[in-house]
Amino acid sequence: MRKFVMTLALISIVAIPAAAQSIRIDFPDLEDRAEEVVDVTLDADMLRLGAKFLSGDDEGERAVRDMVKNLEGIYVRSYEFSKDGQYDHRGLVDRVKSQLGATWKPLVTVRSKTKENVNIWADMRGDRVVGLVIVAAEPHEFTVVNIVGPIDIDRLAALEGQFGIPKISKERNRD
Amino acid sequence: MNLDNDLKRAMRRESPPAGFAERVMQRVRSGAAPASGAEARRPKRPPLHWWRAAAASVTLAVVLGGYAVHRQREGERAREQVLRAMSIASEKVAYAQQQVRDIGSH
Repeated sequence: MRKFVMTLALISIVAIPAAAQSIRIDFPDLEDRAEEVVDVTLDADMLRLGAKFLSGDDEGERAVRDMVKNLEGIYVRSYEFSKDGQYDHRGLVDRVKSQLGATWKPLVTVRSKTKENVNIWADMRGDRVVGLVIVAAEPHEFTVVNIVGPIDIDRLAALEGQFGIPKISKERNRD
Repeated sequence: MNLDNDLKRAMRRESPPAGFAERVMQRVRSGAAPASGAEARRPKRPPLHWWRAAAASVTLAVVLGGYAVHRQREGERAREQVLRAMSIASEKVAYAQQQVRDIGSH
């Protein structure tokens, strides 16, 4: 019995970190100030359902379908403001960063005074990426993306511009 | 001996009453079942009206159809959300990669 309990405890310790991690990316204070908000919340079930409706004939949609089939969730919050200085970029980055555990590694940090600032962290298990957090900040816009599950970053980047969505609309989209 | 005689008397061949075969054939033709024995004792079921069956079928079809439409709409919305999320994510990652490449090429 003691051996069984020890084995169970060991499995739990190993299994918990092996699961990809989702983080809290809601910023109610930003939501109140934002002119427009994009809120995409897709858990594993919704991802599977959405994937079923992706076209197999379209190259971009086929690539997305292959990519999302192993994911456990995708969460996006994007806030657009009517004027500059409506949010504290560094403070928000710190809030996101404080939630990331030891397995999260900074992958890319882009700092620009004129263009977009981007921080990307990856949840690394060996050489596998099992989660991604992207924080992108522009003077008028703040975006956080959390992808939960194994993801190929190069393939993700290659998807850019392959969709039928010409411009990401910034509407209030609370589903 | 008496028992033998009694049995012979009981088992002897007897002709049916006049018109028996005709009556039987008439019943067969009319489809009427004899109301006798266990059948007669069985409680009668209420007759199943065709309109009740039709109404149940229509209700079921409406419910199933409604669910299918709901599921279709939910799926289309999920598809749109997946594309939107991947579009945003790919745009940001591609931008970051491009910046890194630009720095590397300088």
